Formats: sequence, C-alpha cells, structure tokens
Amino acid sequence: MQRLRVAPRKNWQAEAERLGFAYHTLDGETYWDESVAYAFSLKEIEEDIEAPTSEIEGLCFAFVERALKDEAILRRLAIPDAQWGLIRDSWQRGDRNLYGRLDLAYDGKGPAKLLEYNADTPTSLFEAAVVQWDWLEQAMAQGLISRGCDQFNSLHERLIAAFGQLRNPKPERMHFTCVQDSVEDKGTVDYLIDCAGQAGIDARFTFIEELGLLADGRFCDGASLPVEMLFKLYPWEWLFREQYASALAGSRCQFVEPPWKALVSSKGLLPYLWEMAPGHPNLLPAYFEDDPRCAELGANHVRKPLYSREGANVTLVEGGEVRDSDDGPYGAEGFILQATAMLPNFDGNYPVLGSWLVASQPCGLGIREDTTPITKNTSRFVPHVIEP
Amino acid sequence: MKRSTQIGLAAAGVVLVATYWSLSGGETDDSLIYSNLSECRAANQLSASQCEQRFNEASADHLRDAKKFTSSASCEQEYGANGCQSAVWNNAQVFIPALAGIMLARQFMSGGGAAQPLLPPTNAACPPGTRQPGSGRPECEQPARSSSSSSSSSSGGYYGGSSSRSRAYTTTSGQAMVARNISSTGMASTPSVASRGGFGSTSRSFSSHSSS
Repeated sequence: MQRLRVAPRKNWQAEAERLGFAYHTLDGETYWDESVAYAFSLKEIEEDIEAPTSEIEGLCFAFVERALKDEAILRRLAIPDAQWGLIRDSWQRGDRNLYGRLDLAYDGKGPAKLLEYNADTPTSLFEAAVVQWDWLEQAMAQGLISRGCDQFNSLHERLIAAFGQLRNPKPERMHFTCVQDSVEDKGTVDYLIDCAGQAGIDARFTFIEELGLLADGRFCDGASLPVEMLFKLYPWEWLFREQYASALAGSRCQFVEPPWKALVSSKGLLPYLWEMAPGHPNLLPAYFEDDPRCAELGANHVRKPLYSREGANVTLVEGGEVRDSDDGPYGAEGFILQATAMLPNFDGNYPVLGSWLVASQPCGLGIREDTTPITKNTSRFVPHVIEP
Repeated sequence: MKRSTQIGLAAAGVVLVATYWSLSGGETDDSLIYSNLSECRAANQLSASQCEQRFNEASADHLRDAKKFTSSASCEQEYGANGCQSAVWNNAQVFIPALAGIMLARQFMSGGGAAQPLLPPTNAACPPGTRQPGSGRPECEQPARSSSSSSSSSSGGYYGGSSSRSRAYTTTSGQAMVARNISSTGMASTPSVASRGGFGSTSRSFSSHSSS
C-alpha cells in the first residue's frame, strides 16, 4: 500500500460534473481529491480487504441470529421493544439487504482492523462506484497513472444486479427517500435510483418529510401513492423513535435496508463481535463503557457513542488524555470503548478504508482521508488503484 | 478484473427527470395524469389552486410548443377528428392539437415543478377506426366532444366523457403513451391520506449529521 501523488486531470471539475457529481467541492473545500491515490497490490486487496470483509459480514449474520434470541442484547443496543417484532420478522422472512460499508484501518503491513460497520445508511457510494472508476479510466488513458491498473470496484454492476433480486419476482416499483437539504444524501439516492431504473424498476423519489400515512396503514409518497418498497437513507434508530414508528409494523412495506440491519449498524455491534471472536485479527477489543473489562484497554482507546455518524462525538484518548474529538449531537444511548487502531499516517494524512458490500458480497473500496486521526464529515475522498 | 466493465448513468444531473420520462412510452400511473381541471380537483392530490396553476402553465407551454397547422383539416389528419383546437399564435389564427391533459412528474408534484401537456393520440397510434366504442382499442375510444376545448374550462376536457378505463395520449415530443383512467379505477382504490410528516424530525434536530 502506497500513497501516490498524481497530477489531477486538467479539467477534473468538469469531468466530475459531467457524471452528475454535484459535491466534488463542499463548503469551498475539495472533497473529491484526485491529486492523491492509494495503490495496492492485488494480494493486499484480496487477502487483506476482501476476504476479511466477507468474514466479518458472516460474523454479523451470526450476531443477528444471536441478538434476536436474547432480549438483553436488544436492550443493550437501545432498540425500542416495540420494534423487536418488526426486526425479527424482517430477518425470518429473509428480507434482502442492498449495501453496507465496513470502515477499516489498514496500513499494508498488519491486518486490517474493523473500526465500525456502516450497515444502514452508508454514503460516499457514488464517488466510490462511479467517480473513481471514471477517474481510473481517464487517468490511465492520459498517462497520469500506469496503464494496466485496476480497481477494487464492481459496485455499479453489483448494485444493478442486487436491485433485481431484492425480492422475487422483481419489484415493479420502489420508492427512495432521504432528508431535504443534504446534497450528499440526495446524490447517493439519485445514484441508487439510476441503478434501480437500470434494473427495470420504476423508481420514485420522495423526501422523508413528505411521507404520509394512508387510512389503510400504508405509507404514501408526496403524491399520495402507496409505498410498497422503500429505500430509506435515514437511520433505523431515528425511524424507531419518530411519530410514525408505531406505523412501521403495519405498513406492509419492504424496507431497504431491512429492519434487521439496525442490529449491526450501531457501535454496540463491536463489543459483541469481539466477544464472539476474541482475538480475531481483524477486530479490535471493544467493550460497553460500563463493562469492567474496559480497564484492559488501558489509557489509549477510542470512545464512541452507540449511534453516531461522520465521526461525531467520537473521542480519541491517549495516555488518558483526549487527543482528538469531534462535537456532535450523539451519545444519549450510551458509549462503547474500543482499542485504538492508529490510522496509518501518510505525510500527515490519515486514510480510512471503506470496504463496500453489495448484497453482502465485498465488491469495492473507497478511501477517505483526513488530516486528523478521526475521519469526519470534512474528510476528502481519494481514489485508489490496484497496481499491475 | 476487479472493477465494473461498464457504467451507464441514465442521465447525469437530471437523472430523476430522465428516468421518469423514459416511462412515458408505456403504462403510466393514473394519478399522475389529469385530463381536465375537474378531474385534477376530484383526485384531491393537489389543491384546487395548484390544479388551476398547473393547467394554466401546461396550457401556455402547450401553445408555445405544439405543432401549428394552418387548417383544421391538416391538424385533424394527424390528431384525429375533433383532436384539434384553434388558437392565436403571433397574431395569426392557427390550429394546434387539443390539450388532452397534463402529466405531472411525481417527484415535482409537491415542489412546484411544471406539468407536461398531453396531446390527443395521433392517427398513427389510434387510426380512425379505433376511435369508436367496440373497436377493441378502448384507450383510443373518443368521447363526446365537450363544448369548449379550453384546457382551463371546468366544464370537462377533451376526454371528459370517456367511460374507457384507459386513455391514449401523445406527449409533446411525439411519444405515444397510454394511461389508465383515474375516474374508473384509481380513485376508488386509493385510500385517503390520514396524516403526513411523521418522519424526519430527528434529522431536523441533528442538522448535518444525517448519514455516514
């Protein structure tokens, strides 16, 4: 694994925009940064990223099975008991999942370590699936990187295939929703709508704030059309606590991601994975904050809220002192402590590897880089290559 | 190879619109299409003033975009008997296909996007023989012509008297499409909306931290 300096394409903004990539620059700062690329060997990708990703997904499935039989776990994950039935039913029916992203710390030397699993509402999908793919093709054509490079990235193909298999027979119509006023969320959803359309699905968009409830208990979109299948880029832990939470079970709606993803999308997953596979080379020791075993982590650890996004409310503690933290609104449901896997430092830059799964199959990599050891919503997305 | 072999994007930048309009060649959802103002109001999905506004906008666009004919006969040759209306365009008397309805892109319905004008089926799509009841092409069946062809008249539009369960239209770009009749199928089966806005409150309180 190497960090390469690469000349950006001369008209890189226009090239990104022609794909419909609306947020290559966020708040005046470069978000899509093609002056840098990480280079991997095929062996690193296949043995150190792809295989562990698959293995961790397997552990997560085993954990879902276990959690559904153990109310103490469901409570510990702060899942409202009114929603246990919804979650259990979605798992037992075998509701398909679409996608997820494992965040890994990896330096090319030791094993990748799981930082967390964005199982429910991962973003940075379009840049991983399309923008970096397009960059690779053009950068090779323009001689900016050596010809014959490849990329761990079949996301686009896999997404289209996965949409066709969300249920049998293939859904006719599907709704997609996210919040208003988030260009990044909207970009992710627009891309998924495009993929669904290519899978032959009549894909409709409605903002989450527009969703309504019909007299017969079904949800409806902004134009009052019943919603039978809903991709929601909106976290389950919020859906579970809002006004329509009590309507979820009776809505006859198939959700993507399915409700069972709520069990693996919180940081509460991490202590259980460690408990189920102690010493696993790709896992970090982790405990709930009130667990006496936290003492084993010593003075260096990371404190994470059960629910948090974009690094919010995460605290890096070193020698008992706070080294880096991010403010945010999370933490009401409790915290976990996790052993620190220091992100590798490449000239003052800290990359986090996002290892993508589509329909639970590892199939892509997206890297975000920050100048601090906690990856936040200010970090830059940088492309990667597999060297020939 | 570890990467996708090709990537197609339906239409970068205007993905939603492109995805939507690509459906217009086939069966389109009935609730998106209103053949006249009273039907729009009866569907109760837009307010009465929104209905009026959408029809007025569509009517203006229609006059601007529709193919202009110098005689009623030449227009009807393309759009069928009674398929045309007279209009004044650049101070000249012209004939244009009647405004047979409007189609709303669903994702724009609440946000104030424009409606697309719909034209009567062309004679190519619905030859003269198919325009009477019993022809086996119910979507081409042509109802009694209302007294006014004006789109904003509430006395019934071009297809107002049809008992057919489906209707043929032409889009401005010339695409043929078939819509199911809202008054005979859609309304009866669509339950009323009990409430709206029950999701999204956490996001509002958390501002920018919505996804990861």
